[in-house]
Amino acid sequence: MVAVHQVLPVLAPRDAIGNHTLRIREALRRAGVAGEIVAGEIVAGAGDGARTVRRTRPSRLAAAEPALWLYHASTGSPVAEWFADLPGPKAIDYHNITPAEIVGPWEPHVGVELRAGRRQLAELADVAGWALADSAYNRAELTGLGYRWTEVVPILLDAAELAGVPPDAALLTALEARKAAEGGADWLFVSRLLPHKGQHDLIKAFAAYRLAYDPAARLTLVGAAGSARYAEALADFVADLALDDAVAFTGSVSDAELAARYRVADVYTSASAHEGFGVPLVEAMAHGVPIVALASSAVPETVGTAGILLPSAEPAAFAAAVHRVTTDPALAAALTAAGRARLAELDAATTGRRLVDAVGRILAAAGLS
Amino acid sequence: MTEDPPTIDVTRLAAEIAEEVRARRAAGDFPPGLERELDAMFARYAPAGTGDDFDDVLAAAETQSFIHADVPTGSRRAPLVLVKRVLRSAMAWYVRFLAQQVTAFAGSITRAVTLLARRVDTLETVAPTRVARSTPDPGGWAPTAVDAVAGVPGRVLHTESGAGAVVRALVDAGVDAYGVDPDEGAAVAAAREGLDVRVDDALAHLRRLPDASLGAVVLSGCIDELALGEVLAIAGRAAAAVAAGGTVVVLSAGPRAWAGATDPVAADLSPGRPLHAETWAHVLTTAGLAIERTLPLPAAAPPERLTPLPADVPGAEILNADLDRLSRAVFGAGGYALVARKPH
Repeated sequence: MVAVHQVLPVLAPRDAIGNHTLRIREALRRAGVAGEIVAGEIVAGAGDGARTVRRTRPSRLAAAEPALWLYHASTGSPVAEWFADLPGPKAIDYHNITPAEIVGPWEPHVGVELRAGRRQLAELADVAGWALADSAYNRAELTGLGYRWTEVVPILLDAAELAGVPPDAALLTALEARKAAEGGADWLFVSRLLPHKGQHDLIKAFAAYRLAYDPAARLTLVGAAGSARYAEALADFVADLALDDAVAFTGSVSDAELAARYRVADVYTSASAHEGFGVPLVEAMAHGVPIVALASSAVPETVGTAGILLPSAEPAAFAAAVHRVTTDPALAAALTAAGRARLAELDAATTGRRLVDAVGRILAAAGLS
Repeated sequence: MTEDPPTIDVTRLAAEIAEEVRARRAAGDFPPGLERELDAMFARYAPAGTGDDFDDVLAAAETQSFIHADVPTGSRRAPLVLVKRVLRSAMAWYVRFLAQQVTAFAGSITRAVTLLARRVDTLETVAPTRVARSTPDPGGWAPTAVDAVAGVPGRVLHTESGAGAVVRALVDAGVDAYGVDPDEGAAVAAAREGLDVRVDDALAHLRRLPDASLGAVVLSGCIDELALGEVLAIAGRAAAAVAAGGTVVVLSAGPRAWAGATDPVAADLSPGRPLHAETWAHVLTTAGLAIERTLPLPAAAPPERLTPLPADVPGAEILNADLDRLSRAVFGAGGYALVARKPH
């Protein structure tokens, strides 16, 4: 019996990397591979069975069975140094690290953390013999840093589960009533409020859309404030544009509320400048919502043909693309159909198999199988 | 089994969206200053340092170099406020000691950078990065620019556009074009004429654009005065900013403009000077573009000429042809347009 122990800086509920980590453990367990989850910090409600770095004795785990250590790299953390010192073979799963130059001016301490993350990622190339990446975009970065063995395994998602969450009935009724009363298209974007997620560019595009096409349109921005300063700037910007009634900041929401938001959305819009994968894009596909997105970083790879991809976030072009989707039912249907096809490639069974196969190859190469 | 989704002709769709934008701009549904105004509105709330202005970044560093030792004690759960206050009081001696040292360190660093900045300022005073607008008004070059960007896949950017003469010609020819110029007065004048001209530095603007986001970039103005490192940088960014099949057009006054000393102060003090067409061809080729053609540009003013001989002078036809060639060699403008295309 061998084990794959996963290590990550923070295990948090409703977090893409946290969910991915838990799903990896499930997939490997089904394949007969045991494993623990070790995190620098475990946020309440993040799932049981995980332990903190402080309470982990690596030598004890190593003595129990031969093990591979898999580190989830997404930011700078002392946990990366703890991981580097672990005994035995090591691999990383790279989810990308936001460029510090975008976030740093808003949140200098986060900028420092992100720069440290990039430095640690480069240093781990000498420590980790194998590397998985969510996307070819992430893999290219790893190759550039000198990682020799790399393989793309998308984030483990369950599309059926995403689409199957019953919407919050009361909220859905209220949203549908407003739509019926006011008319207008509903734009939706889901992500924490952070400068690299481009909510400010989305608001600019939305303002242009209201001006040229649809004065009754609404924009819903779902997600907690990842940067308080940026969130305040967005709120002030919206107020300056006199769009307070049209732009909703919901903060973090429940799965049921999110399902209701997707149910009424006419278009999922993303002006994000940096995505290592982009889980909400897949959620939009699962909910049958057509996508209009800035073609940045890994977005084109994740979206495939399920959305209109724009070369820049120029407000006029963005607005025109959304207008096209909301007024051309055949195009919207073609995009959602393409989304369903893309989902089939990303479903949990397929990506779970890819992951188990990839881990199997790593274990064999490490002499653990 | 998942049914194959209907195929979407992405190229046609992109072209239709681009045409829609162009038509809406022409109809005034997207006002000419829309993007500039939206950018300016949000910039009011962005912290210093999100842009490229060194003084802003340094000011932000100075502000942030003070480390606050009074940890916030707010909490959604009332009892925790009290706990936090007690902990803050108990730990104050420790936190303040650390905060003072970190503040002192950060203050020393920002002070050192400030002193360094002063030295750079002094160097820049000796060798100014920009002296004055010395290249001719690019308006006369508009037909060449219109011809060079015909059919490109996307929006066209003109740097530095001045009051927008080339942008006007492009828009009138049905091209979705905008300009940038560091002179606010020029940008405002262009906006008054219904053109989208933004106040920005050419290289800084190109650096902010995503790769492959434009159909063409028309470079003029500052390119004749840039230091060599900036020439390489602007060529690289312009090449990156255009999509496959797009073009980069260089409109240069040509080296003779400096020798002709139309503006001797600028010619003597600028960090760079107009390059030969061959040099731009080399630079753009290195940036991954294929050179299509080089064309002479008309002079800003009617050129001086050597006086031709009267037609009845024996041999006048031959001599006048030579005088004409000599006039062009001596007094010709020497400006050129170089058109380079990004391969598919």
